[in-house]
Amino acid sequence: MLNLLKIEWLKIKTYRTFWVLFSCFVIFFPASYFFTASKFMSSRDITAEERVLKGMLGAPFSFPGAWLSSAYFAGIFFIIIGMLFILLITNEVQYRTHRQNIIDGWSRMNFLMAKGSVMIVLVLVSTLLVAICGYIVGSKYAYASGNANASEGIQFIGYFAIMALLYLMVAFLVAILIKRTGLAIIIYFAVVCIIDNILWLIFYARDSQVANFMPLEVADALVPNPFKPKALEKRTVGDSTLILAAFAYMTLYGYIIINRFKNTDLKT
Amino acid sequence: MSVLSVQQLSKNYGAVRALQQISFDVPSGSVFGILGPNGSGKTTLLGIVMDVLKATSGSFSWNGHPGAGSEQRKQIGTLLETPNFYHYLSAQKNLEIAAAIKGRGKEDIDRVLEIVNLTQRKNSKFNTYSLGMKQRLAIGAALLGNPDILVFDEPTNGLDPAGIAEIRELIKKLNHEGKTIIMASHILDEVEKVCTHVTIIQKGIMKTTGTVSEVLSASPDVSVIIEVSADDLANLQQTLSVLSGVTEIKKQDTFLQLICDEKVTPAMVNKYCFEKGILLNHLGMKRKSLETRFLEITGNQSDR
Repeated sequence: MLNLLKIEWLKIKTYRTFWVLFSCFVIFFPASYFFTASKFMSSRDITAEERVLKGMLGAPFSFPGAWLSSAYFAGIFFIIIGMLFILLITNEVQYRTHRQNIIDGWSRMNFLMAKGSVMIVLVLVSTLLVAICGYIVGSKYAYASGNANASEGIQFIGYFAIMALLYLMVAFLVAILIKRTGLAIIIYFAVVCIIDNILWLIFYARDSQVANFMPLEVADALVPNPFKPKALEKRTVGDSTLILAAFAYMTLYGYIIINRFKNTDLKT
Repeated sequence: MSVLSVQQLSKNYGAVRALQQISFDVPSGSVFGILGPNGSGKTTLLGIVMDVLKATSGSFSWNGHPGAGSEQRKQIGTLLETPNFYHYLSAQKNLEIAAAIKGRGKEDIDRVLEIVNLTQRKNSKFNTYSLGMKQRLAIGAALLGNPDILVFDEPTNGLDPAGIAEIRELIKKLNHEGKTIIMASHILDEVEKVCTHVTIIQKGIMKTTGTVSEVLSASPDVSVIIEVSADDLANLQQTLSVLSGVTEIKKQDTFLQLICDEKVTPAMVNKYCFEKGILLNHLGMKRKSLETRFLEITGNQSDR
């Protein structure tokens, strides 16, 4: 696996598009998170109404809330990483280098595992960034929650990792099935931003807990909106159930990816 | 033992039957040409034996091992259809990836770049290469690790005449070193010049297979072509027109082409002319070309 990752590193280390997109995530997520935290925590020039509203929201930028808010903000920008991952796979198809990798001696599973190793690295690096940003913001505004224990609520970092993994598995599936870069990215955006939300809304409107088990919502529900008052939360399904469901989806996506790639003709 | 044995291989794309029941064996140490018009199924065949395409039915084995396992493919140098490289990477970096996948070190990269004359441009990005340079890089990649089996699909595609001659010489040289080379081509001259064995495919159907000489000699047309020339071509033509066994005389610019029965030999023609007081300044027997034989087998139409 490490050898496969080394080869993938040879492919991406000088690939400018990869670094541009990756930098977008690394810059835009922390920048927007730090900026929002700073604005939210600023007590200057706010009206009495805003002060009441803030009181209802609790302390999303100090421990333990900082872990969740960091994970939530990263989740908004993580679609960039999904797009980047699609690009890494569909580029191989477009330039037929996936064929060449097989001709040169990789098995088809080697190819998938190589991409899988990149996926895991992307998840780990993103999660590390989420943890660092959460720690910085949480530490800075610790006073707002009476210097609560920093380890409290840290499970949201793990939940982010699960969410990131699920999003990239969907990206992987879309890339393997669609193959064309532009179309794959459009479909990925449609699934992430529209289709999954519509499915969620259909069940949510009926007050059904099934809403929480939609293909991506299953992980989104683990990292809820930190600005949503807890009183409005309708979810009664436990985190462990959602985690199991998320892994069940990942297993299904993995099965389809392997089955498809192992048995298909490798053409553009 | 056969390096590659193909048994009853078929491939369908929906209703299109790209390959039908193809069977042949590639002997060790041969240069095996797979010859066919455009769209005849040559690349499909090579794609299947390199595991990038899935056969509908049939089987194949490399060195007696069924299928094309990962370890088998690492021992084969392959150029399939078009050069496939990372366009944003240099030749050097692309070959590092190919070498790493093959489980070989970087030490062989300089050697293969030298063979294909790309040393000077090894740090240039692949997308700055001309078509011919891309093709040469693909051949270089196939040579990584000095494999005993090489598979080349249209190896001279995009090369200039000097490049074509270089690659042909390289193929001959590799063969003399004992390597087995499997080469798909629609260029008859190319196959005739470098191959020891040939399989002719048309519309996915194997028409014939064997050594090049076996394929040529299997022609139902047993006539021979003898070329002659003398100072007075008109007199020569008139004299030879009554020679027994000569069925047709075609006048070319500087010589005559005699289409004769198989019993007529150049010695007979020479003796006859000498007895008639004509001194020949050119006498040669023209071998039936693979082109002639190919057209006999496939007709004149491409498979598109």
